[in-house]
Amino acid sequence: MIKQHPLTILSPVKKGKEEILDKRLSIIRENLQQGTETEFKKVSTLHYGRFVILSRDSFRDEPAVPVGTRLIFSTNFDGGKDNHLTELVTQLTKYIDEIYECCEGYPEPGARTVESRKNYLNKYSIKTSAFFNGAPGRSVQQIHQEKGLRDHIWNYITRNKWNGSTSAVEIHKAIRNEIASRPEFAWAKQKAGVQGIKWLNIIGYGLLLLAAIPLIIIGAVYLFLFHELWNKKQTLTLSQLDDKKVNKLKEVEDLFPQNQFTQVAVLKPNFIRRLNFQIWMLRTRVLANNVFVHGKLLNIPTIHFARWVLFDKNRHVLFFSNFDGNWQQYLGDFIDQSGWGLTGIFSNTVNFPKTKFMITGGAYDEEHFLAWSRSTQVPTQVWYCPYPQLSIKNINNNTKIRNELYMDLDEKHAKIFLKRF
Amino acid sequence: MASLELSEIQAYLFKDYKEMGSSKFYLLQVKNATAAKQFLASVADSITHANAVINETCLNIGFTSGGLIALGYNNEENMHSFSREFREGMVSPHRQRLLGDFDSSDPSKWQWGGPANERVDMIFMVFGKNESIAENYFQSLKQKFDSAFTVVHILDGKPLPNNREHFGFREGISQPVIKGSGVTPAGHNNDINPGEFVMGYRNEYDVYPDAPLLKAPQGNPELLTDNPDAYENESTGKPFKDIGRNGTYFVLRQLEQNVNGYWSFIKKQTMDEHGNTNNEEATKIAAKMMGRWPSGAPLVRHPDKDPGPGVDSDDNSFSYIKTDKDGEKCPFGSHTRRTNPRDHFEESTPGVSLKLTRRHRIMRRVRSYGEDFIGSAENHKPNGEVGLLFGCFNANISKQFEFIQYTWANSPKFKKLYDDPDPFIGVRECPAAGVKQNFTIPQKTVNKVIPDLQSFVTVKGGAYFFFPSVSVVKFLGTI
Repeated sequence: MIKQHPLTILSPVKKGKEEILDKRLSIIRENLQQGTETEFKKVSTLHYGRFVILSRDSFRDEPAVPVGTRLIFSTNFDGGKDNHLTELVTQLTKYIDEIYECCEGYPEPGARTVESRKNYLNKYSIKTSAFFNGAPGRSVQQIHQEKGLRDHIWNYITRNKWNGSTSAVEIHKAIRNEIASRPEFAWAKQKAGVQGIKWLNIIGYGLLLLAAIPLIIIGAVYLFLFHELWNKKQTLTLSQLDDKKVNKLKEVEDLFPQNQFTQVAVLKPNFIRRLNFQIWMLRTRVLANNVFVHGKLLNIPTIHFARWVLFDKNRHVLFFSNFDGNWQQYLGDFIDQSGWGLTGIFSNTVNFPKTKFMITGGAYDEEHFLAWSRSTQVPTQVWYCPYPQLSIKNINNNTKIRNELYMDLDEKHAKIFLKRF
Repeated sequence: MASLELSEIQAYLFKDYKEMGSSKFYLLQVKNATAAKQFLASVADSITHANAVINETCLNIGFTSGGLIALGYNNEENMHSFSREFREGMVSPHRQRLLGDFDSSDPSKWQWGGPANERVDMIFMVFGKNESIAENYFQSLKQKFDSAFTVVHILDGKPLPNNREHFGFREGISQPVIKGSGVTPAGHNNDINPGEFVMGYRNEYDVYPDAPLLKAPQGNPELLTDNPDAYENESTGKPFKDIGRNGTYFVLRQLEQNVNGYWSFIKKQTMDEHGNTNNEEATKIAAKMMGRWPSGAPLVRHPDKDPGPGVDSDDNSFSYIKTDKDGEKCPFGSHTRRTNPRDHFEESTPGVSLKLTRRHRIMRRVRSYGEDFIGSAENHKPNGEVGLLFGCFNANISKQFEFIQYTWANSPKFKKLYDDPDPFIGVRECPAAGVKQNFTIPQKTVNKVIPDLQSFVTVKGGAYFFFPSVSVVKFLGTI
């Protein structure tokens, strides 16, 4: 099983180069939208890639530390970081050079080698606080292969006329024979590793949590009395947001069945809030690594990859997501399925809708939460996905098809197998 | 819960006026704002509100955002407090992607409401027991009218017999019931908090929907109430007056139905090796696509046969998870299952699913136009253009109408599907290269697939309207 990892590179943009950088990114974006972009897919380890220009104006709220204009490059990748960086600088050399020329510290033209480029990316890469993967262990290659397998079987089943009395077991066998006869699907004979829920870790974590109950209660009461009570009620609603800003976000939305979300928020300026945020990050890490391993983050069934990144001395936080469907659905899912999680995490950022004991209000204050989300969102200049036509449910279903194909199934399970198409 | 101020709310939200044999929607443009305001002040008391006794006629009116500005409600801050969807209207590049209005449905080809058409400012909805009553009623209201407005377009609609639409299905069976409106719940999970449909009340998130406020002084504020969320003007410390309270948004889309194309396509799916088609089988496929039989009977209760051709069904008390978890009775991709998923989202319990569904409902208000024609596998060639005037009320266009259209109907990834858009309203006429459009009918062993779906519904016009309270109509007369 090949593991997937997040990479976030944050580099300062050279003064005076902001415009040309924006222009270069726009060209890549337009090519992606028109389907004429050809470079990204050369990076075989790349699931999603995005470039975001983060300037002072990207912050809705007053930044906690002075910020200049920076460029974010984020990827989700297969396997080792070193190999991925090598691929990036050798396969995407044109982009990397063109884009990072506009950034401080990038090697001068004469000094550019594979190593010097990699060193640069390494130097500016920052740590991820929490990371979610909707299909753990699925490499880009595997996702494409399993899509091919599913499509082939789908065609085979729908083209054949099946006699009404043929059992599901017999059809399953016929499908297996069909696939076995095709050398291009020889890989499918080997079962794909799938990550299970790690119960031991969860029990351990649960026990820790139990032991910490008194602390949690004290913490919650303290936060309520000394912080939440004094937070200002938010009155901003979606209609009142700046039209230009919202339109810029919408311009790059709903072009594909999948969408991206980039957000930047400022942590509240006190220690206890920052600590609370770290505790929630820890909680999210534990859950993402041990529980949310079957395609659902906090019960939201549409997210491919998501991550939280603390930066600027842990005073600012970035949130990235790659998801199926559109903004209204995605944010609605967050409220419907996991308002508590969002509230726990983001109530530690400034001007989040007022909460009570970190449980009520917050994300459940739908109108103001949506307005908060939209107003802290940042336009994504470039967004690449190698499989925009696959939902995360499709990807996970395709792996199940592959794994059940060479299993001996009884009638009941053979029926379940056939229902996957 | 605050009780509804029924005498303020336009009645079309609550009542379908199905007894009105004729409905005429006059799409108006403001010619003279002063005259238009005078007209509004005088006509406000004639608006049919939800407490009014309905005899032979009804009148309801709505405004586009362009219309409010044309009337003189042009303060930027005031207009900006209306929802973004309403302000932008139905036509924008992003909205085109959301609603799927491409190819023949492209707004540039519309008969009204599109960029090539005359601007629509208002909709003046006149209903009458029959056409001449509606017509006479309109003439009686027309004093002072001609100097104020130009009629840009007239939409002539009516309910078809037995509440059918042109493809042949009984429709409008599952409607939400607004809590506190005095109507008993009609069916399962259908009673909904008023804030989903009327501004100024709490919605299914238990918050007040985003509603327009009087941010800057205009007109006579005495006619308005304070906003319930107590948003205050920071400089005066007083709460803003509410423009939205007891008002709602109305979505109107003219949908041409290609009845002959539809039934011919379905019948072709049943063709045997001798080229014979099977009407009974075709009706069944069509019912699978709809989720109900032409009579209205739901497939989860009657998976194999229409229990009553000739006998209409208003059965709406069913759910999915217990009776049809695998979609073998009612396919996951069918129109009614995806636009009202009831108690079945795979990742949620039935209780949570019901809650989620309640957050995305619309109050449908539908009329047919063209010949009085009800299609079937046997008879599917109407004379001339026929179609549906699809209308719906909602307090939040993005969360309700647009959500249902995009996330549930147009998205081929709905539930666990791969390539299945809504077979009636989600199929693209010219899909992008490599994009398949199927309809999957789950079966005991191998699913049946209707491949290469075609589009049989074409958008011919559309707009978003604000339906203010009676008092706000009066207020608009004073700006």
